[in-house]
Amino acid sequence: MLTAVRELQIPLLAALLLGGCAAKAWRLLRTRSLSTVLVPDGLLPLRLRRPVMMTMYATEFTLGLGLIATAGKVGAGGPGLPATIVRAGTALFFLVAMGALNETRQRRPDVGCGCFGEFSETPIGWRTITRAGVLCAAAAATIGVPPLRMPSSPSTAELWLAALAFELSLIAFLSPEVGEILVRLGYSEPCELRRLPVGRTLTALHSSSQWRRYAGQVCAAAPDDVWREGCWRFVVYPGSAHGRAVDIVFAIYLQARRPPIRVAVLDAEADSPGPAGARESVVI
Amino acid sequence: MRHLAEIPRWCDDVTDFTGPGRFARRSLLKAAVLGRGDEAGHLLAVTGEDIEAAATTLVYTVTGRVLDVSPHVLVLRTEQGEQRFPLTASARAWRGGQIPAAALKQGDHAIARRQQPGGPAVDRIWAQIGRVTGTIIEREGPATLLVDEGPAQGRKIVIIAAEAAGRIQVRFPRLEPGYLIDVIGLKHDGFLRALIPATSQPPYLAGHPPAPPLVNGHVPDPVSGTAVWHEPGEEPEGLLGLAYPALDPETSCERTGSAPAACSGDLHAVDPHATGPGCVRLPYLSVGSLLLLQNDCAERSRLLPVTSCGATARLFCDRCVTCGTSRKGRIADLTMAAFVELGGALEAGCFNATMRIGG
Repeated sequence: MLTAVRELQIPLLAALLLGGCAAKAWRLLRTRSLSTVLVPDGLLPLRLRRPVMMTMYATEFTLGLGLIATAGKVGAGGPGLPATIVRAGTALFFLVAMGALNETRQRRPDVGCGCFGEFSETPIGWRTITRAGVLCAAAAATIGVPPLRMPSSPSTAELWLAALAFELSLIAFLSPEVGEILVRLGYSEPCELRRLPVGRTLTALHSSSQWRRYAGQVCAAAPDDVWREGCWRFVVYPGSAHGRAVDIVFAIYLQARRPPIRVAVLDAEADSPGPAGARESVVI
Repeated sequence: MRHLAEIPRWCDDVTDFTGPGRFARRSLLKAAVLGRGDEAGHLLAVTGEDIEAAATTLVYTVTGRVLDVSPHVLVLRTEQGEQRFPLTASARAWRGGQIPAAALKQGDHAIARRQQPGGPAVDRIWAQIGRVTGTIIEREGPATLLVDEGPAQGRKIVIIAAEAAGRIQVRFPRLEPGYLIDVIGLKHDGFLRALIPATSQPPYLAGHPPAPPLVNGHVPDPVSGTAVWHEPGEEPEGLLGLAYPALDPETSCERTGSAPAACSGDLHAVDPHATGPGCVRLPYLSVGSLLLLQNDCAERSRLLPVTSCGATARLFCDRCVTCGTSRKGRIADLTMAAFVELGGALEAGCFNATMRIGG
């Protein structure tokens, strides 16, 4: 059983290392600036930042590929020296990462680790450091593991799957990036952030029953004022009611279809509801 | 430039701070149509008195020009005329660094904070303090920079003081065209002598800020982040308000299209409206919208109106560490008076803030 768990670590570590490289490369391509993926200011002398980071990325990529390349039968009768070097190197990499993360947390508490590119912008906390520690232990556990092979029986496969599920859950718990990924998968833009042309707002207003009810009091073809606050756009028309100048204020909820509309009538110079009196709401 | 006839008359002129009646009335009209406190629970309940107070009343802050100063009394020429303010025993002054209050110079522009709201005594004074926040578009020699502060603020010259060069270089390692800068220093005629880095330089080019985290459902209210300050520019010195990073692009008219490059530096200028939503997703608002802003470090809050466009703040995905670590991104760019009114220290550059949308 223990051997099965140890074998599992090799593909898992390789996937995490290569996934980290891919996320950083994606960020580099999107921003077209190498500096976005560099180590934060203040941790290293300026002249060392770029070479240190390039070395780190190259190491990460090489270790990820090396774990896969040496996972099978390398040499007869055992994992061989290359596999041992790669696995020990991986353990050392995560050990150094632990120290670097802790140092970064002390000196720049405002920055994320950048481990998975733009998904890793949450400030470094104990979870990120613990994750590096867990992966270091996982890498150390792979030293001396014989070449990987397919599970010999259904029960061994079930054991693999159970161990995989447990370890993925543990890594997910220790990864602030998971929350960010889940949000992106199920995203729909809130109305407060949605751009909606004024023309569409006015079209919706002019086809509403509230507009028809108050159109007789409106004195101008164009609104006096239009502004927006969050999910509501406000349109003010000058009007006349009972011989007095009034402001007719429409509030239109910013959604594409059937927006709720509210209306109020105020004396043009007053700060309370005017002769028309009440506020009204309607959904057209 | 657009022809006047092409501009709808309800478009906000964000520099129209001298006639704020129309914008102040917006909160009133909104309260009338949506009620005092929105049923959806997103908005604050405010009264006409709140709106009036939000726009005008300074209870902690005094601005003016130094006429005379002694170890015990500061004399300022303010909008109300010559005024005398007793200095507390612990009064501190800043003029490029901490100095005794008596070392202030006649003619200095000063902003002072009262010890008690409305009280006579002042305990903090900042003289000739200035700030430049924006994109470096030209560099001449090792220490002279031309910085574009965005469409609303224009361009300023920054000369990095020799004694501060090391300190600034550590926090701003790339003093090159295309990168962001935010420095505080002493104002001189035509330039700022930079002395203090106001943040750490974001590692990306100004035109490529990272995408902010997505939000599902509604934008969180209240929202937490960083509040910074800006120089008055064309605004009145004692204006209480803030430049908001996310004015409604459909009605605020702050974006009139990019002008063709007139000099090589223009190639590095960044239109913050063209860089996406910025570093923090904020609901679209308009000039005149009211916000309840709390200084989390001083636990002081104030209802403030949006008075101008703060789109440049979108470019800075930084955090304030004045008291703990703020959430990422700048949510408000306050006027100097509002920043001091909320208990902020101008030389610190920022405070951790929590903002609720009101009105």
